[in-house]
Amino acid sequence: MFVRGPGSCVVIALLGTFGIAIGFIGALGGAMTLISALALKREARHRRAIAWIFLMAGGCLLAVLAMEIGLLRDDFSMQYVASNSTRSTPVLYKIATLWGALEGSLLLWAFVLSGYVTAVAISFRRQIQDRLVAWALLTILVVCIFFFGLLVGPADPFGTLSIAPLDGDGLNPLLRNHPLMAIHPVMLYLGYVGFTVPFGFAVAALVTGRLGEGWLVLTRIWTLIAWVSLTVGILLGAWWSYEVLGWGGYWAWDPVENASFLPWLTGTAFIHSVLVQERRGMLRVWNLSLLLTTFALTIFGTFLTRSGVIDSVHEFSASSLGPLLLGFFGFILVVSVALVGWRGDELRSPGSIDSPLSREGAFLANNLLFTLFAFIVLLGTVFPLIVEAINDDQLAVGRPYFDRMLLPIGIALLLVMGIAPVLTWRSTAAQTIGTRALMPAATGATVMVLALIFGAQGLGPVLGIGLGGFVVGSSVRHLFLAVRRNGWAGITGRSGGGMVAHIGVALLAFGFIASTSFSEEGEFQLRPGDRGSVAGHEITFVEVIDEMDGPNRVVRARVNVEGRGVYAPAITQYPTFGRPIATPSVATSFVDDVYLSLIAIPEEGSDLVVIRVLVEPLVAWIWLGGLVIAGGTLLAMVPRRGRFSAFADEAETEEVGL
Amino acid sequence: MKVRHWVSWFCVVVVSSLALVAAMVADDPPATEAERAYEIKETMLCPVCDGQNVLESNAPVASAIRAQVDQLVSEGRSDAEIRAWMARQYGKDVNATPPRTGIASLVWVIPVFVAIASAALMISVFRKWRVGRGAEVSDDDLEIVASLREQS
Repeated sequence: MFVRGPGSCVVIALLGTFGIAIGFIGALGGAMTLISALALKREARHRRAIAWIFLMAGGCLLAVLAMEIGLLRDDFSMQYVASNSTRSTPVLYKIATLWGALEGSLLLWAFVLSGYVTAVAISFRRQIQDRLVAWALLTILVVCIFFFGLLVGPADPFGTLSIAPLDGDGLNPLLRNHPLMAIHPVMLYLGYVGFTVPFGFAVAALVTGRLGEGWLVLTRIWTLIAWVSLTVGILLGAWWSYEVLGWGGYWAWDPVENASFLPWLTGTAFIHSVLVQERRGMLRVWNLSLLLTTFALTIFGTFLTRSGVIDSVHEFSASSLGPLLLGFFGFILVVSVALVGWRGDELRSPGSIDSPLSREGAFLANNLLFTLFAFIVLLGTVFPLIVEAINDDQLAVGRPYFDRMLLPIGIALLLVMGIAPVLTWRSTAAQTIGTRALMPAATGATVMVLALIFGAQGLGPVLGIGLGGFVVGSSVRHLFLAVRRNGWAGITGRSGGGMVAHIGVALLAFGFIASTSFSEEGEFQLRPGDRGSVAGHEITFVEVIDEMDGPNRVVRARVNVEGRGVYAPAITQYPTFGRPIATPSVATSFVDDVYLSLIAIPEEGSDLVVIRVLVEPLVAWIWLGGLVIAGGTLLAMVPRRGRFSAFADEAETEEVGL
Repeated sequence: MKVRHWVSWFCVVVVSSLALVAAMVADDPPATEAERAYEIKETMLCPVCDGQNVLESNAPVASAIRAQVDQLVSEGRSDAEIRAWMARQYGKDVNATPPRTGIASLVWVIPVFVAIASAALMISVFRKWRVGRGAEVSDDDLEIVASLREQS
């Protein structure tokens, strides 16, 4: 170890502060440039904003680099490094510490946001003289100003300590024992922050009054990028909690999870209902409102999780930013409502829905269900706060509530998802449904029988699994026809990619239903050589390994899972953290997971361990489903040949009969 | 539709219904004490660990609650009694299920109300659209038709 001169540390922190200041100035300068150019109607001056945007992104990059250098060099004179990192933290987690705590995660937010603005500015550089593009950039820049403003003042990540400690406190150990922690927050932010881009274009469309379908086509790819990143980010978070938290679950309806889920729900509603607008020119008010809501929910979610108003496992990020975030949320809400109110009349759609039994009818049902879903999640999340405010009563709204309320909606969504692809636009004859839905329905029935043979029981789970089969059947049918007509290009584009994503959702549903409904568990007190059995899986406890890993005491139990090999769930006592942290070990297969966790640190000198064994069927299908959804979304981004115009959607021909 | 289709649909409906009935019959309600205790623990939150239930948590207080639940179940107390007892001991927010009485019941009622209201709204919009579609022949349309007739 060497002693560093005090100068070097201060330089890094100064560099970071400087970078943030540059970022703030860049955002402010870009916004001012656009405001004056828009006010004076000098379209040629829009271009000048690009330089400001580059400046902002450069400043933010500088700040991020400064923070990373500080973290990697153990610069404990920086307060953020001192309170969130230690010398013994592995390099990967030192890098990831950037988003391990509040100030850093806001820095990441600003960084991702400036990345998005830069990408938008570059890809629209030829259309920058367009007022719509200028307004969109301005809107996004206003959001940038807010976040850089937080970093400049109340959430400054580059505070310094006059006396640098010899070692830092380190993150909550839960945040530094799995590589997923390095990816999950970044993906989540790519999604969360990404919705700022379509939000910017939605506001621009409202302000300029250009409410045709043009802006939708411009933002399509950006919306899909944000959506797929958020989807993957949420699933990675679920996977992380499954692999790390040791209770065998992946979703707890924790407020922070809900906060990421809310914009996903409205965003999902949007990417579906926007198809109706592209095709039929309808639902304009609705689609704009969904986008505005989605963005507002990202800010509201940040308020919920970053203000400390709600208890959660993610509490590491609580802070005093509450009023500012709430204020910004209110500002967005007022602006959005005012804009929609102002342009409301011009948003009236020219078309009408002819029959509920049509593709657009199915999209409407989808939207009704998704918004209801989002409403219930929001209500359940904030309800304890409301009750506490009204009569000072403490109560919890937990998983039983969400399960009870949301599972019927999930079932209905699966039904709509299966039926929609067999419906035609405008209206569908009963005979057409009878012909087209037969194969999917037969698939669903077959899957139900198979599920029963494999031991599934209970009306809800079996119905859900059957509907999942129905979804797979109707998606595969759609894809088969598209490929027969267009070759392999048939699996790309909105409908092809969408159908692939739906198959992913069905796989995810199978995994979710089976793992929550049919899991079995057992708790065993074992000495070396003892055996236990859960759901047909024999486990044998081999030995206990008790060792020191640096300052941490790690106890591993080697357990042989018959047919799967030896696994070693562990439990670690960190000196800087109160209770021991259990690290489960999972024997995964596509049939079921055998999830092993150590319950407590064994007593000194004793070789008796308590092991909890959980057998969960089809968990791996959830992650596989996520992969398929992501793949499908990427396929959906592939543009179809000859469909570059905003109004060329009629080129998408509908298959006729089967 | 052809007869073949009707027969196929009939088979699909019969097989699905039988499968669902079989699924329902196979699902026996929780009866044993262990199952009851498991379900109570699963729906009771650990007071110190933010959102985890006592079944999943390895905090000391969670294992204490687990033991108390086992004890109370074996004494033959009803679910409601056990939940009330826990709420008195550890605060109302140990129950993950919000109560169905008082102001808390709103969390159950509001979504149902919103669901019904929005479905009703959608149906009424549908009907308006369909009614509006029937009476769209304007005077202009009639004139055009008339002029075309004259020309022919």
